[in-house]
This record gives sequence, structure tokens and C-alpha cells, in this order.
Amino acid sequence: MSTSSSPQPVKLSLPLIYQQKLFEELRKEDELVILARGLGLMRLVTNLLHSYDAAGNNLIVIVNAEDRENAWIGEALAEHAAISMSPKARGLTVVNTDFTSVGTREKMYAASGIFSITSRILVVDLLTGLLNPETITGLIVLHADKIVATSLEAFILRIYRQKNKVGFLKAFSDNPDPFATGFSPLATMMRNMFLRKASLWPRFHMHVAQSLEGKKKAEVIELEVPMTDAMKQIQTAIMECVEVSIHELKKGNAGLEMDDWNLDSALLKNFDSIVRRQLEPNWHRVSWKTKQIVGDLTVLRGMLQSVLALDAVSFLQRLDEIHAAHSPAPGTTRQTQSPWLFLDAAHTIFDTAKRRVYTGKQKAGGDDANIDALRPVLEEQPKWALLADVLQEIDRDLYFEPAVRDDSNGTILIMCSDTNTCRQLRIYLETMYVKPRTEKRVEDFHDPDEDKPSAAFMMRRKLRNYLKWKREFARVSATLVQENQKALNGAVDPRLGHAKSRAPANKRRRVRGGGGVGAMTGRLDNGSIAQYFEKPGEVADLMAEIQITEEEAKQKEDIETDPLENMDDYYQLYEMQDLVVIHAYEGDQDEHVLEEIKPKYIIMYEPDAAFIRRVEVYRSSHNDRNVRVYFLYYGGSVEEQRYLSMVRREKDAFTKLIKERASMAVVMTVDAHGIEDPQEAFLRTINTRIAGGGKLAATAQPPRVVVDVREFRSSLPSLLHGRNIVIVPCMLTVGDYILSPDICVERKSVSDLIGSFKDGRLYTQAETMFQYYKHPMLLIEFDQNKSFTLEPFADYSGSAASLGAANAGGSDLQSKIVLLTLAFPKLRIIWSSSPYETAEIFERLKKNEHEPDPLAAVRAGLDKDAVAEEQAFNTEPQEMLAAVPGVTPKNIMNITLETENIKEVANMEVTDLQPMVGVEAARQIHGFFTRDLLEDE
Amino acid sequence: PSRISGGSGSTILVSPRQKGNPVLACLRSMPWEYSDIVADYGLGLTTCALFLSLKYHRLHPEYIYTRIRNLQGKYNLRILLTMVDIANHEDSLRELAKTSLVNNVTVILCWSAAEAARYLELYKSYEHVVAFDAIRGQQATGYAERLVEFVTVPRAINKADAVALVGTFGSLREAVNAGPERRAGAAAAADGRGRGRGKQQLREREEDD
Repeated sequence: MSTSSSPQPVKLSLPLIYQQKLFEELRKEDELVILARGLGLMRLVTNLLHSYDAAGNNLIVIVNAEDRENAWIGEALAEHAAISMSPKARGLTVVNTDFTSVGTREKMYAASGIFSITSRILVVDLLTGLLNPETITGLIVLHADKIVATSLEAFILRIYRQKNKVGFLKAFSDNPDPFATGFSPLATMMRNMFLRKASLWPRFHMHVAQSLEGKKKAEVIELEVPMTDAMKQIQTAIMECVEVSIHELKKGNAGLEMDDWNLDSALLKNFDSIVRRQLEPNWHRVSWKTKQIVGDLTVLRGMLQSVLALDAVSFLQRLDEIHAAHSPAPGTTRQTQSPWLFLDAAHTIFDTAKRRVYTGKQKAGGDDANIDALRPVLEEQPKWALLADVLQEIDRDLYFEPAVRDDSNGTILIMCSDTNTCRQLRIYLETMYVKPRTEKRVEDFHDPDEDKPSAAFMMRRKLRNYLKWKREFARVSATLVQENQKALNGAVDPRLGHAKSRAPANKRRRVRGGGGVGAMTGRLDNGSIAQYFEKPGEVADLMAEIQITEEEAKQKEDIETDPLENMDDYYQLYEMQDLVVIHAYEGDQDEHVLEEIKPKYIIMYEPDAAFIRRVEVYRSSHNDRNVRVYFLYYGGSVEEQRYLSMVRREKDAFTKLIKERASMAVVMTVDAHGIEDPQEAFLRTINTRIAGGGKLAATAQPPRVVVDVREFRSSLPSLLHGRNIVIVPCMLTVGDYILSPDICVERKSVSDLIGSFKDGRLYTQAETMFQYYKHPMLLIEFDQNKSFTLEPFADYSGSAASLGAANAGGSDLQSKIVLLTLAFPKLRIIWSSSPYETAEIFERLKKNEHEPDPLAAVRAGLDKDAVAEEQAFNTEPQEMLAAVPGVTPKNIMNITLETENIKEVANMEVTDLQPMVGVEAARQIHGFFTRDLLEDE
Repeated sequence: PSRISGGSGSTILVSPRQKGNPVLACLRSMPWEYSDIVADYGLGLTTCALFLSLKYHRLHPEYIYTRIRNLQGKYNLRILLTMVDIANHEDSLRELAKTSLVNNVTVILCWSAAEAARYLELYKSYEHVVAFDAIRGQQATGYAERLVEFVTVPRAINKADAVALVGTFGSLREAVNAGPERRAGAAAAADGRGRGRGKQQLREREEDD
């Protein structure tokens, strides 16, 4: 297939009508393409790229691509090049680390080709002229939905359009939601990208519908699975907790707008992030209690999901972990605990979850001392049985009506949401016909249930592991608690009395249930739920009940170990014909899965709207492949709700976009303030201080600011550039922005500020700034959308106790600012309500000052023999190291220089560490890593 | 509630010009007294503060410059305690930023009388502080806290995962040495990101140098 517009015949792989139409459109003009999820955006992009690649001599830059997409594009380009045998194609070059040296990059750019460049590097290269914008043939922008006015990508596009008016610019997105919120969002987005035309392709677009709903439709069978009563109870109880948490939030933050925080929105996939986003403007002002509740919402949402996804035992284990992590450190008051843990509903969650796994039973004729013992229940997930049914049906199907010969393999593909579920299903399918025979069962001559698949084997094994885990876990948490107590005993704490109220591990209250309910969660003195630990005798009973039977023992245990560990031993080619493949949804990657596996049957274990479309596209693209899809979901569950609302939201977003496009007035300013206003340039050369406006040569050059390259993550450089200030990106050791030879600015957002007070970074930064500059300044920058105040919601009028001259360890932000100014009386503080403001303030501060010297700025703070490359370290492992006792800001550099990674540090002995950090610190570090919570009591 | 005492070192000195300022009503946890000083508030031998309401500043822009000039470089730390009591504060703040540079004053913003009073009290109470440990960074002390801090550095890992991690492996060294698959199983985040987390953590750990 070839298109008339391309310079030479190129082979493309776009079989469907809508894909071809879209491709032709894209070749013709610049536009923003918004495609519904699952309709094959990447395929389109790679074909487009190939058409340019094949022509040769093009310098095309892909902006905003993720690693996965880079890999895909690279592969696809190579494949295309091989198929169409175009000699000029060069494939993709990925530039994503600073490690590609400047010289190499320059050479690469000169050779032209297709590049995918990390935005942070690209912007620096464009600014320093390493990559001349005029030589670029065109830009391809992915994830266009993420490009807001202040983003780095918008900055890149502006630099590009400023210097290059002819190159093409095509933007892609498969996420219509962000384009549909806010005031005329589409027009704004298009202005940011300097694009005139938007091209919308929802699923209900005529061409798309035609392509996908022809006679080659995929067969879809929906199967609604009812939840078990216990699951329903847990779900309801979690929802109740969510409701109460939301109520607490509303109570605690009366000044905030939160009418739409209700239970309905709580069903959405990201309701905790919605709440977080709404609180964001005031995040530095809300009390820590509010922050805690928001954290709780995330936990609760996770639970909503895991009650459906995890098996009963894993869910119980998960709950135990959550409980352990949320139980208060002894010595703190009850206020520090999450409010939902005090609810009856929380009790229901823990209790029901436990009853799904085991329950007490009356022992006939037992003596008083032991009237109740534990008996495993092991409820199975309803979907498992159905999955087995479906597989059986497929088997029958294959047997009775031998497949029509077609191109697809007989493979059965099972799709689920994550790898955990994958593992769970794999084990289930492997073991579902294994019977854990107890003596009683053997006596039965023939059990009608015998051939029914069941998860009993898997669940029993899980329970065994769980009990073992729980024993160890109890010890670990006990040790952690003891540790805390020791620390508390050291410090003189008036509240120490409370610590006694929770003696580790064994102090528990048990409520003895009559009837079937045996184990109940007890409650702590302060009313929250206590973790329940079984009596050793009970556990023994339970263990006996589920001891390994002969049958079970025969099963090889290796299923549990990581199959990847000895890949070579196991690796062999399977016949595609009779294979069951379990895979997790992975966005665009699923297309590859479909193409490679060519399944005849697909079981969607969990719903995913995009995947259904992918199957549709796959089916329609291949004439000769039949597909049947089984679609499993829990009726009346959060899962179902979420799926439906996702489909609805996307549809609404597109409808809104179409409406907006119809009535949109695009103001086109393709030249982003291209040439500098000559009047401004003239005025700058005149010094009003000199009577008559004498000219001053020193200021004749355009104003410039030296910016630390790491600052390009913020929007300020972009905004400064927007105000006609020349940005000089440099690797700075001291300060973030150098405005003049004397003025050096350290920028801190409010959250940065809190963080850098905490770890003492700001103090050191201020110290070094004073060594090299006359006027160091601290810029406290609030976000555009954040409220411009530090004042917390709670008032601090009664805080006299926290004053007191001896108490110099004030914890709130204000007191730290006070301390900072006392420590550095000459440090100036700039308060800015938004990055836009900062840009103006900088401009004003620079007036009548000399322009900064980039070379001097770079040299400041560097030791004579130190190498500038030190900055290239990854900060996260450093932060982790900094948390290790014995590691100080002074010796951390030694450690990072001497070792490869944290793993190496963790495995070092005292003698290895000693030369780097000294004896005492070495012992501390070693102790931290090797301390074994299972061993020491 | 002014208290007359013979100019002792532990009171905030207030210029009579400040009479009627609501900030005084909020000064509750520190004693204060009227005194004839050039600044508005005397917060120590080398520290003083000038109070400026932006509302007033817009009407009388020259006022604050006169006051700053009158200080005659007397104090080492000169606070310009600015109350943001108007909505369109941008212009004034821009101007003050430049002023602070030129005239050697440190701008501190506050949004209410209570907050202003809090700043004054803080300055006075920290007057004799010599060690700035509170802002020089300190580390958590207990093993458990350190542990959680260490494990939760990567954003995607939360406290529950941290506990699960050590719970499964016993010690950190074990956890670090375990393969990504096992670790993911341990941190098995029920919300479906377990593997991503474990992997991510591993990657980050190994990217150290």
C-alpha cells in the first residue's frame, strides 16, 4: 500500500479505513489527533515516522515518549525498514540520559534521523544551540494531553516555533479526559501547541464504527458473576469507612469546597487522588490529621480492589499488614490513629475477612478448657469456578466442532489486571484438579464432586504459609514495638504511661462467640481494633487440620519459586495449539500480545474497555482469524461500576470536545513573540539615571539569567524565556538562578521548603551561597493554583507552651523561617504567589544590574580538584542512604563514590565499611542492615 | 495589657506608633511594653521589625521608605513584617522584593494579625538561640522509624509495604538481596501495583552510581 503524498512508495501496515484516512490527514497538515484508547495510536505514529524515515535526510524529534514507547517505535521502525527495503531509513535514536556526552549528541544531531529525546535534555540542547531548531524537519509530540502552558514540552514547542516556522508539528493523545475539563480546554491546549486543527476520533466516529462493526465482528460473551455474601459484606463495610472518612474530612476542613465528595465519587478509580487534588491548593495548610485521612482513603481504595482481586487468605494477610502499619506507636495518644479503625465497619471488615479463611467450631464433648478450636473455611473466589467452566466449555467446543481452519492458533488467552492476579490464576489452573484428600474422603467410595475443579489445594497451601508467616510477623512487629518503647524510655516523656497499655503481642482481649463465630477481633483499651493473635493450641489444631496430605505432597513444590530463576532448565518451546496464556493488561503493549499469540479464545478475567477495542481492531484487521471473547465481572461490584463509568466518561469527553471544536475561535499566534520588540531593545540601552538618556554599552545585550539545569523541571525557566530573557542552562553547584554577578537565588516551593528544613539542606545551601555571592536570596514560590498563605487552618493562639526560649526546636514552618533569618540576617526572602510572578520579580531585580557570567557561576562552589560530574548521581538511593544511621552528609559522598549500589552497601562487613566512614559509623550501618527481626527477641 | 517593667531583656518593645494595631491584642504569650524606639517592634539587641499593612502601603507608598531610612542601619536583622490584607498584592510584593535587596530588610509575609503576633513572639523567644539544630536536619532515632524512612524513599512504596518487606525477609539485608519477583510477592501490594513497586525499588537501588 502506498500513499500518493509520500515521496517514494513506502509499505505501511494500516489495514483499516479510519487508520488510512487519519494517516493521509497527518501527512497533509499539522494537527492534534485525539484517538479513543485502544484504537492503535502507536501503530499510527510508527507508520507516520516510517514514511519520513524512509525518505531519509530528515531530522525528526519525538517529544514526551515513555521508555516503553521508545522501545516499540525502535522495533517497529526497524521492522518497517526491513519490509519496505528502504535503504535510507536509519531507525530511532534514543537520547535519554545525561551520559551521552555533549560532543556525541552534537555529532548525532548532525547526522540527522529520528530521535526520541527526554524533554529535559532537549530543552537544554535547544537553548544552548547544540541542536539548532532550524535544522529540525518536524516534531512529533506524544501524550499531548499532558502539555499545559507551563510544561517543559510547551517550552520546547515555543523555542521550536520561534526559530522554525516551516517544520511540521503533529501532536497525539489517546486520553480525551484532560481536554474536557476547565474553560475552553481544547482551544487552550491547541494554543499551547501552536496548532490550528484538532482531529477527533472517538469510537463512535463514522469511519471507526464502519471499520470495526463490519461482518468480521468479534464475538463477545458477557458473564456476570455474583459476589459471595462475605465479599459483599466487606465491600459494604469498606464503603462505610470511606463515607465516614469523607465526613471527617469535611468536618476538619470547613473552609473548603467539597460538595461533590460523596460516596458515588468514591466508587471511581481515583477518588483518593481527586480528593487530594482538591486539597492540593491548601496542602501545606491542612492539619496532619486531614493528611492522614487522605492517606487512609488510598488504603481503603486499595482494599476495595483487593477484596475482589486477592484470594481470601492473601486478603487477610494484606489486612494484617495494613493493621500493623497503622497501629500507633506505643506512647502516642489515640488521636494518632486513623479514624476508620474505630468504626464497627472496620470490625466487620477484619472479622468477615477472617471468617472467609477459618472459623471456630464446637467440639462435641470437649472439656471446658478447649471448647472452641479453629477450622479452615477457605472461601474461593467465585470467578475461579466460572473460569474453570469457561475453559471446559472451550474444550468441549474444540472437541465437538473441530475448528474452522483459520490463521489463529488454538491458544486461549486470559487477561487480568496485574501480575499478582496472573500468578494467582496460574497456580489455580495448575492445581485445580488436585484433591486434598483427608481420611474421611478416602473412605467415600465415589464422591460426585470428585471431578469438579476446586481451589482447595491452593487455598490450603496458602493458609499454611499464612499461619507460618503470621507467627513470624507477630515477632517482627513485637520487636518493632519494643524498639519504640526502648526509645521512649530513653526520652523523658510524660505520656509514657500509655505505652504500657499495649504490651506487645500477647495482650489481647478475646470475645468468645457462641455458635459458629469463633474468633473475633478484640478491641484495645482505646477502642480501636487490636490485632488478633491465636493461642498456640488453636494454631496447632488448625495446622493439623490442613496438614499436608499424601496427594498434596506429590505435587512438586517448585511452583512457588520464581520460574525466572532457572529459566534455562525449564525453557522449551510449547505447541501454540494447546496453550493457555495468562497476561496482564499493559496498555498499548497488548496489541503486540494479540498479534503474537493469535488467540482464538480470550477470557477477560477483569474488565478493561481499551482492551475490548484492541480486540475489535485486531479482529477487523485480520480477515481470517476468529476470536471469541468471554468477559467476566462481579455483578454489583466496584469493578463493574468503575468499568461503566470509565466508558461513560470517555464518551462524554469526546462529545464535549466535538461541541467545543464546532464553536471554537482559534486565535493563531504561530510566531511566539518571534522577534524582540525593537523598542524594548532600544530602551534597554538607555540609562535614565544619566541625564539626557546617555547610552550605556554594558546593558546593550539582552538580559540573561543563568539557570541550573535541574531547575528545568519547574516552569520558571519557560516563563522567563517568555519574557524575553535569555536562558543560559548550566550545571550549578551554588544556587538555582544567577540574576547578576551578585544576586543568587535559591528557589523553593512550599513543599520543598518544608523538606529542606527537615533535612537541613537549606541551611547548607544558604551557607555556600554566602561564600560566593553578595546578595543571596531565598525565593519561596507558591503554586499558581495554591492558596497564597502559610497560615494553617487551626489557630495557634494557645501555643505559648511551644515558645519558651529553651524550646528552639519549633516544628511549624513559621518558626523555622524565623530561625533561618536569625541564622542568616542578610539572606533576603522573596515571596512569590506563582511562577508568573517570579518571572516579573526577577525581571525587576535584574534592572540596572550587570549581566551574570555563566563561567563564574559554574565555577562557584566547585572545589579546585572536584569534578562537576558529581551531580550526575541518582538522588533517590542517596536519600535512602541518608536515612541509614551512621551516614552523615559528610561521609555519604565517600559511600556513593566507593560503592556500586545499595545492595553492595547492605552486604558489606564492618571492616569493609570502616575505611570509608570510620569505625563507629561502620558498625551502625552494618547493624542497621543485618539486624534480624526474626531472630532477636 | 501592657506591663511596665524597667526595660528588661525579656519583653518585646513596642513603639507607641503601633497603638491600636490588632496585632497587639494577639501578643499573648510574650510580655510586651511600649518604648520609644525607631522601629515598630524591638525583638532583641540586633533584631527589629517594621510592620506594614499592604492596604496602607498602597495609599502611602512612601511611608515605609521613610521608616526604613530612620532605622539608620542600626539593627543587624531588620524584618519587614508585611500583612497581606488585599487581594491584588502582586504589584506591591514585586516592589518590596526589590526594596529588600536595596535597603537591607528581610520581608516576612503574614496573613492575619494572629500570624503576625506569632512571628513577633517567635523572634523574641529565639533571641538567644545559638545552635540552629532545628533547621540543620536531624535523623529519626528509632530503628523502626529509620527503617520505614529508608524503605519509603521511593514514592510508590508506603508504610504497609515497608512492614511487609521486613516481615517477610527478617532483615533488610535479606530484603535487598532477594530477587525482584520474591520481593514483589512480599510487598504484594493488594492494589495491584505490587510488582511495579518491587521492580521499581530494585531498579532505583541499583542505579546508585
